[in-house]
Amino acid sequence: MILPRIANKGGAAAPSCEGRRSRDAMDEFIRQYLVEDEPYYRPAGKEVALFEAAMARGLPMILKGPTGCGKTRFIEYMAWRMKRPLITLACNEDMTASDLVGRYLLDAEGTVWHDGPLTVAARVGAICYLDEIVEARQDTSVIIHPLTDDRRILPLDKRGEVVRAHPDFRLVVSYNPGYQSAIKDLKQSTKQRFGAIDFNYPAADIEIDIVSHESGVTRDVASKLVGIAQKSRTLCGRGLEEGISTRMAIHAGGLIAEGIAAHAACRLAMTAPITDEEDMQRALDGFVEAYFGLEAS
Amino acid sequence: MTGGAELSGGRNGARLERADETDAVAHVLSARRNELQYYFAGFGLAGIAVRPHSSAGLKELPQRPTISDGVFLLPSHFLASEGNGRGDIHRAAAAHALAHLLFSSRHRPAGNRAPLLIAVMSLIEDARAEKLMAQRYPGLHGLWGRFHVATRANSGLGFAAIAARLARALHDPGYRDDNYWINKGRELFEAELTRLDDVAAFDRIGKILGNDLGQMRMPFDPERYQVVPDYRDDNTLLWDFSEDRPFSDDPEILAHEAVQVEPDRKDAMAVTRGSLIPVEERSGKQYPEWDYQIEALREDWTTVVDIERGDRGVGTKGAVPKLARTRRRLEGSARIPDRSTRLRRLHEGDELDLNAAVDNVIHRRSNVHPDPRIFQRHGRRRRDAAILLLLDLSASTNDFVPGSFTSVLEAEKRAAVLVAQSLDLSHDRVALHGFASDGRKEVGYVHIKDFDEPFDACQMAYLQNQTSRLSTRMGAALRHAAACLVREHADKKVILLLTDGEPSDVDVSDKLYLVEDARHAVSMAALQGVRIFCVTLDRHADGYVRRIFGARNYQIVEGEKAFVSKIGRTLVGLVAK
Repeated sequence: MILPRIANKGGAAAPSCEGRRSRDAMDEFIRQYLVEDEPYYRPAGKEVALFEAAMARGLPMILKGPTGCGKTRFIEYMAWRMKRPLITLACNEDMTASDLVGRYLLDAEGTVWHDGPLTVAARVGAICYLDEIVEARQDTSVIIHPLTDDRRILPLDKRGEVVRAHPDFRLVVSYNPGYQSAIKDLKQSTKQRFGAIDFNYPAADIEIDIVSHESGVTRDVASKLVGIAQKSRTLCGRGLEEGISTRMAIHAGGLIAEGIAAHAACRLAMTAPITDEEDMQRALDGFVEAYFGLEAS
Repeated sequence: MTGGAELSGGRNGARLERADETDAVAHVLSARRNELQYYFAGFGLAGIAVRPHSSAGLKELPQRPTISDGVFLLPSHFLASEGNGRGDIHRAAAAHALAHLLFSSRHRPAGNRAPLLIAVMSLIEDARAEKLMAQRYPGLHGLWGRFHVATRANSGLGFAAIAARLARALHDPGYRDDNYWINKGRELFEAELTRLDDVAAFDRIGKILGNDLGQMRMPFDPERYQVVPDYRDDNTLLWDFSEDRPFSDDPEILAHEAVQVEPDRKDAMAVTRGSLIPVEERSGKQYPEWDYQIEALREDWTTVVDIERGDRGVGTKGAVPKLARTRRRLEGSARIPDRSTRLRRLHEGDELDLNAAVDNVIHRRSNVHPDPRIFQRHGRRRRDAAILLLLDLSASTNDFVPGSFTSVLEAEKRAAVLVAQSLDLSHDRVALHGFASDGRKEVGYVHIKDFDEPFDACQMAYLQNQTSRLSTRMGAALRHAAACLVREHADKKVILLLTDGEPSDVDVSDKLYLVEDARHAVSMAALQGVRIFCVTLDRHADGYVRRIFGARNYQIVEGEKAFVSKIGRTLVGLVAK
């Protein structure tokens, strides 16, 4: 990922040290990363207070939890609450250190340095959110080490520059421990730099609230969707890698609110995507049937 | 076969169809078994095993499902019922069983209650449990409703008919019946609907209705009576007939006793014990064994018998299961970057390729079209390893992996397929071997796939045909595997042992003996440059694996998914080191 160019050519100093005009341009540039409207987030525990305390201490955080349980929504909400820009980067296994910190590119006059998203966040004092950090290769994820201990620096060796992190810079990564991937795990040396908050699917009542609020279905329908999702979660590790997430239940609810029949909506948004196995599919259809009755044929 | 034919008792026809039916039943059940187990697990009852009814075949009456505390037995005639198109009877039966398991009190003493009274009380209890279940899962009402089809016109006379109509009346508020007893039953039942948890109140209803039937002198033959409708179980879960048996050869009681008998593993082992292979396919090789008490090697003490793959039996045990999906997991292993390999002149990359960049600028200055490929990045590591995956095929691998419906052997097979398919494509050489011992003179050693063979349908079928049997003489098998590996040319030679328990064999009583021998085999292999690593599913393995394999050379894994992924991770680690 290459961000829009920051006025930062050649060996020029970091933008925060430049003149007034440049700082205005920077403000303009960073404004796009601010979360303007309050995202809907329903706390399930003390995570908001804990996260704020950790952020106040500058402690980098890991948000752990199964997919679709609200990790990304939570960080958006917190960025809004703390009025900090949020730079999100979805990690993938082809991502290299250069994709995080930046690289030289060529233009007509020679080489030009382009900051990567992590460098930008460190310079301007944003929250850098690395989604699914385990997807990144281990040699990539170690470059965050100097930023996450008390040094708070980011050495750009190719450029011969050491970026000192802005006091407001925070690093948050998300991580799904349920992934049964052969080599994907964080190094211990990476893990031990972070604080962590465990996310899980919210308790039934809260989850019903969330599904009903986000999708626009009644609480009655939402409770059925959540019931189906909870049934599927008990099968986690017994044929399903992960159960039906809150996000999936919301999608199904949204379809139902738009007038799609409940069975079709559940199949489309919940049961069909999570499994390819016929036996499992039928068992999940059975759960749908237990809540919504026989499908009208 | 239709429901009508069953009722009219067409004996000859039914018998003729039975032979074909048995095959078909086995097929249908095996197809539905997993689904139903998932279904039970979803409702929080993961421990219920779904099995076909054992006594199917000779009985003339259609059977009913039977539930016990851990087993759900499905009868054979469900196949025929499903053909009626009324709905999914397997699922209806499972949902009804769930209603009992979640809401009914189990094994109440039957005492000296008359069979008729027990039948009526069971019927009321069926309806009560279903009502409770349907309160939580409203969709189930419709699922069961499909099977309530009894009317005055179609159900005939006798207790079974009137019971079917009462069951329907209790289930379906819209059903009208003019029978006084049925309407009385419905009124009594509906009066108690607000307190469904009050078992005693519903017992009273059962007693009132049972007494009424007695006064009507309703004939009742417990041996001919079957619970109605078809999906409902025979209610042996509800009653305990053990104290006072009014009719000792009643099929319900027999069924009740039958489900108490869990298959005995010792028997199963005894059956499989014996020679597995014809003599002509064997070739033995002698290995020493370490006796820790005399601290010396017993020369030529064990005989490892190589079992060659006879290709004649291949492919007979059904189609090869599709395991392609598991393959993706190891693909990441090819992604270990290696800084010593640089891929130059690329369109995209991590760094500028300086030579190419200079060329590019020179071309531009001299008005020549520049080559845009100016980046470089690191390549992937090339490895050269020989990996021997050694599977424990002993009888204990027949057990389920805790927390799943997969046997240990099945998990081992999956892992083997994953390793063979993914690593065979890379630079590594892989062999799949298995072992099961029957005393020191006969350590069976199976070559499922050798280093120079591809892993294709033939090897796959042979792997899938492997069964659990005999014991685990680990040391001898490891020595033989190391001997196979030493002949290979590779930078790294690794044996990965997949097992579920400690070494044991029929002719050794001292457990420590085989543990110490295995430890000796591991250290001898290390001297020959062969590294041995163990992944075990035995959660109590701490006591011996460390002793055998050394501090960092084992992994204890819980759960099948973790097993497969841990093996992948271990291999990547072993090969990369």
